[in-house]
Amino acid sequence: MQNKNMEDAQLVQEFLGGNHQAFNKLIGKWQDRIHHFAYRYFANNDDAAEITQKTFIKAYQKLNTLDDAGKFGSWLYRIANNMCLDELKRVGRKRAVSLEALKSAPQTATERAADSELIRSEAVVLLHKALLQLPNEQRIVVIMKEYEGITFREIAEILDESENTIKSRLYYGLRALKKTFDSWNINKEVFSYD
Amino acid sequence: MTKDEARELFIDYMYGGLDIDTQQKLETFIGQHSDLKDELDGLLETRQVLQQMPVENPKEQIVIMEPSSVYSSIRNWWENLIQSLSPRSGVGRFAFAVASFVFLFIITGSLTDMNLKMEGGEFSIFFGEQVPDQVGYSAAQVELLINQVQAENAALVADIVEAAQDQQESQFQLTLSSFAEYLDEQRTSDLQLIDYSLTSLEETTYNRFVQTDQVLGEIIETVSLNK
Repeated sequence: MQNKNMEDAQLVQEFLGGNHQAFNKLIGKWQDRIHHFAYRYFANNDDAAEITQKTFIKAYQKLNTLDDAGKFGSWLYRIANNMCLDELKRVGRKRAVSLEALKSAPQTATERAADSELIRSEAVVLLHKALLQLPNEQRIVVIMKEYEGITFREIAEILDESENTIKSRLYYGLRALKKTFDSWNINKEVFSYD
Repeated sequence: MTKDEARELFIDYMYGGLDIDTQQKLETFIGQHSDLKDELDGLLETRQVLQQMPVENPKEQIVIMEPSSVYSSIRNWWENLIQSLSPRSGVGRFAFAVASFVFLFIITGSLTDMNLKMEGGEFSIFFGEQVPDQVGYSAAQVELLINQVQAENAALVADIVEAAQDQQESQFQLTLSSFAEYLDEQRTSDLQLIDYSLTSLEETTYNRFVQTDQVLGEIIETVSLNK
């Protein structure tokens, strides 16, 4: 990880020195991860691509404000998280409506005669919805830890919180998700349903 | 250990952040409290469900285009040209480097008039005309050379002195001649002046005499008349 940070730092220095191709190398390294991160928020490839693009545009414009070039990754995740939150605020009302409409869906979906693929895909949608139900500060920790594999220390750096706070948010986030999954009858068997 | 303390360790336990001793203590404690065990199992299952969420990769690679400017477009053109001309393989790159070096060597040589010489098993590089090797002289030869140089110098000095003397003499003669002419002219001029003065005096004297004669004549006539 330290080597990766050093590589990022070198590329950042090269970019600030005038080599624009260095930034494209940074994009090549981080695009997939930021895209996956945004995808967890919106479960939509187009939305994730848009957030990713905006994130890198913002990073390109503001890279000269980065104090520690070795923490480029943390800084990039912070930008991506803010972009996701801004987008959620913008489309939040629509998502809330669709969430309300889906609250009755689990009962209907599981009661109907099952097409395994349909159930699985609906379960995935419900997964996203369950995540969206979490408070923002819990959701971001769950996504970063469960899907991005970021260490607690790095998450703490990204969100500018203590490690204990991060662990606490993860704990309460997982507990809240468990409660939601139980109420919607979502479990791992649903995904292996045939 | 209390239940709350056990709960505080759940996250570290699930993500492998506990040391062996603490882990064993926690597992022992959980084994004694079924509600804690159910809670931990529920969290673990939640993690497993979360991992069922698929993810899609981006469809396109994002590329930041450099702001257009004459300088950047020229630089891009140059980089593209270099990249297209550069060979891909290691052998090709090595051969390209050698050829570039030889080319540079030839250009440098032609610009600096470089010459290569191989003589008697020795290889030398020099720029411009080669200076011939100096031949050494013996002491007698050096003394002879010195004497020769001294004699030549002495003759040269004598010639110079003689020439100077001749020149000085001719200058002196010329000066004397000029002075003599000047004196002669002055004498002539003075004589002319004296002559002119004497002539004037003579005329003046003559006129005085005439006037005197006239006056005397008039006086004598007057005296005669009065008698």
